[in-house]
Amino acid sequence: MNFEDVEERDGLRLSWNVWPSSRVEATRTVVPIATLYTPLKIRESLPPVLYEPVTCKPPCRAVLNPYCQIDVRGKLWICPFCLTRNAFPPHYKDISSSNLPAELLPKYTTIEYTLSRPAPTPPIFLFVVDTCMDEEDLKALRSALVVSLSLLPPYALIGLITYGTMAQVHELGYAECPKSYVFRGGKEYSPKQIQEMLGLTAQNRAAPKPGQPLPPQAYGPARFLLPISQCEFQLTSILEQLPRDPWPVAADKRPLRCTGVALSVAVGLLEAAFSGTGARIMVFSGGPATEGPGAVVGPELREPIRSHHDIEKDSVKHYKRALKFYEGLAKRASNNGHAVDLFTGCLDQIGLLEMKSLPNSTNGVMVLADSFATAIFKQSFLRIFDKDEEGNLQMGFNATFDVQTTKELKVSGLIGHAISANKKSACVGETEIGIGQTSAWKICSLTPRTSQAVYFEVVTPAGQPLQPGSRGLIQFVTHYQHASGQMRLRVTTIARNFAEAGSMTIGQSFDQEAAAVLIARIAVFKAEIDDSPDVLRWLDRMLIRLCQKFADYRKEDPNSFRLSDNFSIYPQFMFHLRRSQFLQVFNNSPDETAFYRHILNEEDVNNSLIMIQPTLMSYTFDQTAPQPVLLDSVSIKPDVILLLDTFFHILIFHGETIAQWRNAGYQDQEGYENFKELLEKPVEDAQDLFADRFPIPRYVVCDQGGSQARFLLSKLNPSTTHISTSMYGTMPAGAGQAIFTDDVSLQVFMEHLKRLAVGAQTN
Amino acid sequence: FIDPSLQQPAFESQHQPQQVPYYQPGVDPSHVQPPNPTFYAQPTVGGPQMPNPNQLASGFSQMSLGQKFNFQTVNLLAQLPDPRDLFRPPPDIQLPPNSSVIQSPYINADPSYKRSTMNAIPTTSSLLNKSKIPLGLVMAPYRTVKEGDDPVPVVTDHVIARCRRCRSYINPYVQFVEDGNRWKCCMCGVVNDVPQLFDWDQENNTRADRWSRAELNHAVVEFTAPQEYMARPPQPPVYVFLIDVSHDAIQSGMTSIAAQTILESLDRIPNENSRTKVAVIGFDDSLYFFSLSPGLVDPPMMVVSDLEDVFLPAPNDILVNLTEARESFENLLRRFSKLFSDSARLGGAVGPALEAGFKLIQSLGGKLILLSSSFPTFGAGALKNREDSKILGTTKVKRLKNLSLSYQESSLLQPASPFYKTFAISCARAHVSVDMFLFSSAYTDIASLSCLPRYTAGQTYFYPAFNTVRSEDARKFAHEFSTILASPIAFETIMRIRATKGVRLSMFHGNFFISSSDLLTLPTLPVDHSYVIEVQIEETITSPFVLFQTALVITTCFGERRIRVVNLALPTTSNMSDMYASVDEIALASYFATKSVEKTLSHKLEDARETITNRLVEILSTYKNTMTSSAGGASSQLAICDNMKMFPLLCLGLLKHVAIRQSGQIPSDLRAYGQALLTTLPPQQLIPYIHPNLYSLHNMPPEAGTVGDYGVILPAPLPPTSEKLESYGLFLIEDSQNIFLWVGREAVPQLIQDVFNLPSSAQLHSGKATLPVLDNPFSIRVNAIIGKIREMRRGPYWQHVYIVKEDGEPALRLWALSSLIMDRIEQLPNYQQYLSQLREKVNGSS
Ligand SMILES: [Zn+2]
Ligand SMILES: [Zn+2]
Repeated sequence: MNFEDVEERDGLRLSWNVWPSSRVEATRTVVPIATLYTPLKIRESLPPVLYEPVTCKPPCRAVLNPYCQIDVRGKLWICPFCLTRNAFPPHYKDISSSNLPAELLPKYTTIEYTLSRPAPTPPIFLFVVDTCMDEEDLKALRSALVVSLSLLPPYALIGLITYGTMAQVHELGYAECPKSYVFRGGKEYSPKQIQEMLGLTAQNRAAPKPGQPLPPQAYGPARFLLPISQCEFQLTSILEQLPRDPWPVAADKRPLRCTGVALSVAVGLLEAAFSGTGARIMVFSGGPATEGPGAVVGPELREPIRSHHDIEKDSVKHYKRALKFYEGLAKRASNNGHAVDLFTGCLDQIGLLEMKSLPNSTNGVMVLADSFATAIFKQSFLRIFDKDEEGNLQMGFNATFDVQTTKELKVSGLIGHAISANKKSACVGETEIGIGQTSAWKICSLTPRTSQAVYFEVVTPAGQPLQPGSRGLIQFVTHYQHASGQMRLRVTTIARNFAEAGSMTIGQSFDQEAAAVLIARIAVFKAEIDDSPDVLRWLDRMLIRLCQKFADYRKEDPNSFRLSDNFSIYPQFMFHLRRSQFLQVFNNSPDETAFYRHILNEEDVNNSLIMIQPTLMSYTFDQTAPQPVLLDSVSIKPDVILLLDTFFHILIFHGETIAQWRNAGYQDQEGYENFKELLEKPVEDAQDLFADRFPIPRYVVCDQGGSQARFLLSKLNPSTTHISTSMYGTMPAGAGQAIFTDDVSLQVFMEHLKRLAVGAQTN
Repeated sequence: FIDPSLQQPAFESQHQPQQVPYYQPGVDPSHVQPPNPTFYAQPTVGGPQMPNPNQLASGFSQMSLGQKFNFQTVNLLAQLPDPRDLFRPPPDIQLPPNSSVIQSPYINADPSYKRSTMNAIPTTSSLLNKSKIPLGLVMAPYRTVKEGDDPVPVVTDHVIARCRRCRSYINPYVQFVEDGNRWKCCMCGVVNDVPQLFDWDQENNTRADRWSRAELNHAVVEFTAPQEYMARPPQPPVYVFLIDVSHDAIQSGMTSIAAQTILESLDRIPNENSRTKVAVIGFDDSLYFFSLSPGLVDPPMMVVSDLEDVFLPAPNDILVNLTEARESFENLLRRFSKLFSDSARLGGAVGPALEAGFKLIQSLGGKLILLSSSFPTFGAGALKNREDSKILGTTKVKRLKNLSLSYQESSLLQPASPFYKTFAISCARAHVSVDMFLFSSAYTDIASLSCLPRYTAGQTYFYPAFNTVRSEDARKFAHEFSTILASPIAFETIMRIRATKGVRLSMFHGNFFISSSDLLTLPTLPVDHSYVIEVQIEETITSPFVLFQTALVITTCFGERRIRVVNLALPTTSNMSDMYASVDEIALASYFATKSVEKTLSHKLEDARETITNRLVEILSTYKNTMTSSAGGASSQLAICDNMKMFPLLCLGLLKHVAIRQSGQIPSDLRAYGQALLTTLPPQQLIPYIHPNLYSLHNMPPEAGTVGDYGVILPAPLPPTSEKLESYGLFLIEDSQNIFLWVGREAVPQLIQDVFNLPSSAQLHSGKATLPVLDNPFSIRVNAIIGKIREMRRGPYWQHVYIVKEDGEPALRLWALSSLIMDRIEQLPNYQQYLSQLREKVNGSS
């Protein structure tokens, strides 16, 4: 089975599919054994089974799987992880080699169980809506929110917090009139204060008269979070009439916007009432927090919002305090199992950098739009509510993600949107990559796209290599609340062979795409902590070492350097990764950086690769089908249309000539149907790309020489820059466009790599 | 000793000549009407003037003759006091001839506006001190003008002549000199130019007659103020209702009746120019604001639970123009109590509610009206329950656990938290006034809360154990509340009192804030509040009369800036007998009431009580020593001048008043509320509050209770003593706040049937009641009398009627009997005993 088939079946790709059999050997393979696993990967042909899993005795609790040895006569099975013998439960009494339960069949290496105990509470959606925005934006946001109500299941609980100068929690369960609890924007409220102020406790209440129980709505969270079916009318009318923040704003000021207080109230409300059950806090922010805890910039307009340079200089007034504040909230939200989504509609930054811990640790979504009136926002937002064939939201809640390994393998950590569940089991390793020191994590929200990178190390006692032919097992167990209200358990078990030292099979098992993505996640994780030059040096070192180990070359002869097919494009990935927005932050705002990094940590291998190395398609008259072309300045030609997909942007670029013709209106003239088709084809293809993308990419149509073309140029390999003459000599005229950059080109990069790998002198 | 005219007729003997109804039609049975015949002539009422024997002795005719005061000594021990004497006018003011530029009956203020403890002012302070009569003014300069009262004339031409030295306003007592081109100030003697347009009719552009100018013809006059009297444009009337919506408030029906009363009063709230602004804030342990932008069916509610740090949840639409937002406001009021009907929340955010209201109107000024059933337990101004029945009536000290606080009875009357004073200062500075309506059935700490109305010119209203299950409670509150809402209060008022050179106004009492030594700030100027000002003689007065001029700069509720000037001119004297003969015992009693409350706050209750008696003894002793032949020796008499003969009884009434009396049974809330009333009620209400009226109904003369030429005729009041109660009778006791219908133990069934529509007194329940109006003459008359008592005085108060059965509920019986101040009450002596004690002291001290 190839990598893609495995991915299709198990939602999983590995950096190595054959594993080195000792710690030392594992170190030499440079790229760690790691998986990129998509727990909720849609597998249409394999619906969930409607029974409970059979598990090993505590503390192991591994789930019965196709790799278990079974004794049909003794009605026993042996746990491959702890080697314990377990009796099958009584209802498995009819088991035989021709009558096996699904979980023992080879095709069920991934299986999903529907547990008998349903979730105690339906999924909860708490909207936190900024009202400091212009009327047009607010109108668009209001209508999107109203539409979303019809997309949510009627049993889902919904709540509304609006904020501006102050934060208001709307009591949707109050029938007499619109009613909201107002919190001062400039004040830091403790969780206890919030709960008391919302009347979530029964303090200071008159004792009910005998025989007259308190009306249930009189206090408690049910007043604020109601089934949509009960409050849709009321909520719709509140949303439709939702006014802009009424407090006056001076011409030289930003509006006072207490995003921090609104969020802490949202977290506090859910924390008090619904800790440990699935919920999303969906924040819609039209600008930076300027008031109270979590403010990222002052209200004075003359004070600009911080840039990467300001942060590097450590000269930002609000940065550290805000960061700490949101981290505190993120910790509470994630511990409670609640996801926080950030939707922004603002041309400028809103403080995503400071707030990123909220979606990062809860696996909330981040959508960065210039305005709530844009398609990016509207379509991305509504896409969250996509449903499966049964009509259930494609969304899991409050998940626990458990990893179990056989004893030669230990868990180093996870990189993705999760927090540690602090499970210090026997399979926790010493090396720490990402969120380590645990073999289980909490993931507050899951989508079918959510992909977690898990890193492992090989642990064998010194001088005791493994038996030939032995294999290791990994089991991923994801326990989550399904949108339907069921509790589900998805189990994926994989087995891979260990290879002796020096075996060729290890190199042959390398999945360079998965490896690139897995290394990219480490690099970004490091970049969040370390300076970017250090990260780049680390990446280079890793690449050189990998090449030294797996390339074919004669020492000190760069020209002899050859990489086998399954390593061949890995250096190119690394080249693009080095110069990607994930690691080169200075061309982006801090908010954008936070956004790009967030998305990278969410997606599967294919999507991540597009982010690392965008795809470029070329459309000309000559070819019937578009051709993939080099992500290189040589691909720019006057008579082609290029379609660039960076995952975040989808760009259609009209070469000079094409643009001239188009401007002249040839496409509308008889006899130029093929030109018309040429113009339309990339547009259609772009639409296909939009179809299953999240968030919706920014769509740019530009012409050669136009200002928007910079999006394309910044992604291209600068093989022809304004300073470098081509290494192939002088470029023929019209064979590409010079790019104004100081970056080294891929070719230069490769030359350096070869020299370093083979141990030659560099110049 | 007993005046035969006061001997009680039996029920059957209704036709004795003494029973001619003493009440004079057309004359308010009050302490406010002067003996000035022109004031009797109330043309709107019409009809001939009936002669009043008590008033014949004095009259306008005597004023110009410059006669001495009538002087007559009486022996208090030799006669029973006659309550009718309380209705005598004060001693005549006999100004020297030609004191005023115009001879007019209106050139001196009616006592209802301003009166003095003495109507002749001693020329030196030694003379004043010698008399032992304290000199003070008692005034209600913004009393209501009822239908039939003389309106206050208004000078509208913006020609306001004021003395350039003492800043007093031109008045009937100035002199015109230099051919009338200049005028001489009667206060400081400086000569001022007559303003250019003083004799000019600006409207018709013609010469006008100076002598017809209102300020020269009237002691009480108003000027419309030109620009220089305004620090800012006149503020609109502003009312913020802070309504308790806690469980208790809802359950008692308070919230509902409050909202309903506001709703029903919307057309009566002053709003002539459609400028009036209103807001409603609810409170329990949170604050509830409402956005009242015009035309809302469901005004949105905003809850603020952050009581530490009160803030307004929205920048606008909470305080709204009543006319523009009328529909929204009505919609809110209509469903207001329903919004909270399920509430189990307990209340107590009184201070935060006040702070929120203040924030709302601090830039405008106006009135905060707090309606609370809760003890203030949250946020600013939170209080601890400090009352303990064990310390009442004792000097015992109570210590609060875990607090370094301790209380004894007197300290319970002092504010427990500085908040109510400091907040009051902020309010006063921002022209914000606070009225408090308190409804709790438990301890409320009125002593602390009432500070706020006191220093912001507001008022405290108390409805203990209020519950609308009793329709009487709802009726009383609704009546009083709506009257207050409808009342034409003024805003952003400053008040200054000036007097002739040599006279100094030393102390000011009443509900206001003193912003500098003699400048009183009244954020709102309520109608019918009384103020007491202490007066000192600083240097020998050479002028033949003294002028007291009160100037109020006000913003009327219809948006005009005005100055109201109230002049009172009194002759000077160097004669002790003139001084005594000119004593206004009603004013003097008002003065004593105020001073004794002051004493309870600065000292102790027992000090206040001692001071009353001691000062009375001083007066009696001085009188005896200076005015009678028995000077120096013991006397079997107790002498005082005739015009002061009710004064000892008024002192005894004060000693027995719930606010001051020695007792272990009086909760401090009742005392504190009583004190609030004692210091603000004008004499018309204050005197019956100290000296309740007792009427015998079962044997009243046939005219009593019928409508005479000038309204319902009241029976003659009896001395307040249970000796007058007959076991088969029906009596009425009223103290201006409550009415007790005393039903004798042996009341005949016919009487019970006629009045209560019940077969016998066994079926009759004691307590608050609404008397049925039955189809028999006696019932109609009794109801008419109750109606007359309720409406005859100025002010918002609606008296409860309590049915008290002689053999009924003891507590209620004792309460009613405590109104009979001539009787012994607990340890306090009856009137004869008190007189004996006084005589002993007078004899002992000489
Ligand atoms: Zn096991
Ligand atoms: Zn003067």
